[in-house]
Amino acid sequence: MKLEGEYTFDGTREDVWKMVRDPQVLATCVPGTQNLRMTGENEYEGEIQVRIGPIAGTFSGRLLVANEVPPVSCTLTVEGTGKVGFLKGRGDVALSEQGASQTLMKYTGEVQIGGKVASVGQRLFDTVSKSMIKQGLDKLNEILKTSLA
Amino acid sequence: MIKKFIGKRVMRNEDPRLLTGQAQFVDDVEIPGMLHAAFLRSDYAHARLLSIDVSAARQHPGVVAVFTAEDMGDDWFPGPPLVSPPPTAKDVTFHSRRQVPLVKDKVRHAGEAIAVVIAESRYIAEDAVEDILVEFEPLEAVVDLEKALEVNSVLVHDDLESNLAAQMFQQKGDYEAARQQADLVIQRRIVIERGAAAAMENRGIVAHWDAKSQHLTIWDTTQAPIPIRNGTAARLGLSEHQVRVIAPFIGGGFGPKIMMFYAEELVIPWAAKKLNRPVKWIEDRRENFYATTQERGQVHDVEIALSRDGHILGLKDNFLHDTGAYDPYGLTIPLNTQSHDMGGYDIKNYSSEFKVVFTNKTIVTPVRGAGRPQGIFVIERMMDAAAKELGMDAVEIRKRNLIPPEAFPYEHKIIDQAFAPLIFDSGNYKAVVDKALDMIGYDKFVKEEQPHLRVDGKYVGIAIAPFVETTGVGPYEGARVTVEASGKINVATGIGTQGQGHFTSFAQIVAEQLGVEVNDVRIVTGDTTEFHWGTGTFASRGAVVAGNAVHAASSIVRKKILKLASKVLEAPEDELELEDGQVRVADIPQKSVSLGELAVLANPLRGAVEPGTEPGLESTAYFGPQYGATAFGTHAMILEVDPETMMIKIRRYVTVEDCGTVLNPLILEGQIHGGVSMGLGNAYYEKLHFDENGQLLNASFADYLVVSATEMPRIEVGHLETRSTLNELGAKGVGEAGAIPVPALFAQALENAFHDRKLEILEMPLSPNRLFELLNEEKSR
Repeated sequence: MKLEGEYTFDGTREDVWKMVRDPQVLATCVPGTQNLRMTGENEYEGEIQVRIGPIAGTFSGRLLVANEVPPVSCTLTVEGTGKVGFLKGRGDVALSEQGASQTLMKYTGEVQIGGKVASVGQRLFDTVSKSMIKQGLDKLNEILKTSLA
Repeated sequence: MIKKFIGKRVMRNEDPRLLTGQAQFVDDVEIPGMLHAAFLRSDYAHARLLSIDVSAARQHPGVVAVFTAEDMGDDWFPGPPLVSPPPTAKDVTFHSRRQVPLVKDKVRHAGEAIAVVIAESRYIAEDAVEDILVEFEPLEAVVDLEKALEVNSVLVHDDLESNLAAQMFQQKGDYEAARQQADLVIQRRIVIERGAAAAMENRGIVAHWDAKSQHLTIWDTTQAPIPIRNGTAARLGLSEHQVRVIAPFIGGGFGPKIMMFYAEELVIPWAAKKLNRPVKWIEDRRENFYATTQERGQVHDVEIALSRDGHILGLKDNFLHDTGAYDPYGLTIPLNTQSHDMGGYDIKNYSSEFKVVFTNKTIVTPVRGAGRPQGIFVIERMMDAAAKELGMDAVEIRKRNLIPPEAFPYEHKIIDQAFAPLIFDSGNYKAVVDKALDMIGYDKFVKEEQPHLRVDGKYVGIAIAPFVETTGVGPYEGARVTVEASGKINVATGIGTQGQGHFTSFAQIVAEQLGVEVNDVRIVTGDTTEFHWGTGTFASRGAVVAGNAVHAASSIVRKKILKLASKVLEAPEDELELEDGQVRVADIPQKSVSLGELAVLANPLRGAVEPGTEPGLESTAYFGPQYGATAFGTHAMILEVDPETMMIKIRRYVTVEDCGTVLNPLILEGQIHGGVSMGLGNAYYEKLHFDENGQLLNASFADYLVVSATEMPRIEVGHLETRSTLNELGAKGVGEAGAIPVPALFAQALENAFHDRKLEILEMPLSPNRLFELLNEEKSR
């Protein structure tokens, strides 16, 4: 399944980049994240609680950051498995300056799901993932604004 | 006047029990000390199994055992080949790869069972399943049939050179020569996707090993209790007489329940014997979507050659058939497709090669229709394409090609699913088509009503689809009919019942022979202790094959009754008549003896009998047809489409069936109604969506739309009777008939509704969404 979208942050590109690369910040923003540990320079491990329609469960997995061009772009790879199935995803994130104090984030990616999440949750997966992304980015933006205020 | 029961609209004997909850289903079986099983199933469609750790699950309170493939040791081996490839056909490639009890090395479809937890309750078992840790190496999944056969494709079975499971060619006449003569040759690619059988009752098994009597009892939702008994005995090293399989009332079979042996059928009896405890497993709906077999996936490249006046000169159909991860059911489905590719038409030249393909999807075995709907869809789509190209009427081109009544028995010179020559025994096809046209008022609708509707901006289409159904194949079934001392009749047969009304239709056959009331005949089906020879309920054969065995056995009992009564009443046999449970002398009705009295006399407790006498008024008889009887039918419908939402309304639905002698019109109509509902699902609602990773994306009734009462039209059923020449009752099967022509009919009606657009439907199942896309594709062309 394809994921695609954009989001405007109220901060400079450098500020956004710094925040996105901070696991503590990320952990508080990604909805359902129970834990996110940095295990290498560009590698994180953690657990995330997901609810998609009738399916709820914890995925544990890895997040890898690659092709990093600070503060412009990077590629994210996610792999997670849990009792309700598995997911595998890859996405490209690009930041561009929008005037003096705003930053536009564009992301495109593909997610593969399997198990119960796919067989029962598929219909809702698209909506749920979009709303999770939106929630996460809103939260990030709030933190960003607070830190800049 | 002797009372007739065959052909009467008798209410079903079994319904009071079913409707008041008094009928026993597998899940009703409760045995003290019974344990419950839950399976760990693969989330991946294709993956190597690197390791399994069941230690935490074994520690889970309430868990009695956890088994993996390794734990089964030497008892782990694949299920038997259910249907072998045809021994007589030449140049058949067939690679037999059968399902395994539990995955040992590689997962081949999502939902394949990896381990089983057996616990004090199902809740505990399900929880403990989640404690099992499995390490997989995910592999690319084989999903698309054509890509599966490419040289660089990933392999479902690593020991084979390709994903080709089987290949077979059949021909009749000389297609290439016919093509040379043709005025018109049309080629099309037709794609048909999978659907689920979605029986109301999922599968279930209870196995009870009694160590003291050394006896295993299995309750199983199978359509084939006797083969399950024989196979289980062989696997477990028991005598067949140490195993009793009971297939009690079952909430729908539709084919998948004759698949043998499912992984669970291999594991549960084994576990019960090993643990010396009764074990129950009841499939849940999500398991049913993955682990119960499915059908229909085929890709056809078709070519039809015609003369200018619309006569078919030849047909060529090369197709791919999806068998899923294994192929235990042999070539039954693609052979059925070939047998129905020519429909009821007189086609002298035919050429067809099929390739069966392994994919990382659930195993494919017959689902009501079993390859027949695909064949009929192919030929009927080509007929519609030909009619349009030739500017002919859709009805006229069909009538011009129907097999004429004088051509029966009509030999096709290819083999059918039972490897017997494909011969249509009898029929009067044009009369059936005419009756359907008449019932729906075809001419009047086309000439008078449709033009007005079109002026009013309504999209209303009419369609008519004739079809054949090969039914009642061998090898054989048997029955034992006994007159009891009470005067009531007990009948046992080996086939199982999944709602077909056998308790009534078989009772009618007996009642007519023995002069008793229908509800004085007790029928036992699907219990190997009661009757232990037979094959099963499949291929629309119950009424034909078991029905004729019941008929044969009751005819012999009738002779025994008359012989004994003749002595007792001191009257010649030909002066006796059987009525109301009595044998009477025709002219002197007060001179009579009851069947019960005769039964007692036939089984004396003391005294001498003549040497060679068999006790009782009882007989066991078998029936095996030379080849299968072929039924014919025609469906017609008027369909309205909302051009905004693509939702449909069926204004009229007419079926005319010729299934030979009608045993009970009420039951027959029920079969037709059920079949049509499945056919409508196959046409417009029910499609299993697999993604490119082999994940089934609509494995619940929230997403997979089974036809419900709101989608069902009122169905007008007509009958014609052309007796089969292959059995004494003159019966042909009808169990699958209702489902067969519906997608073809639906496609024709949609094209007719959108006659002003260049809509051509070459795929099934459709959906409102897909129809919208097709109409937009046509617009943008």
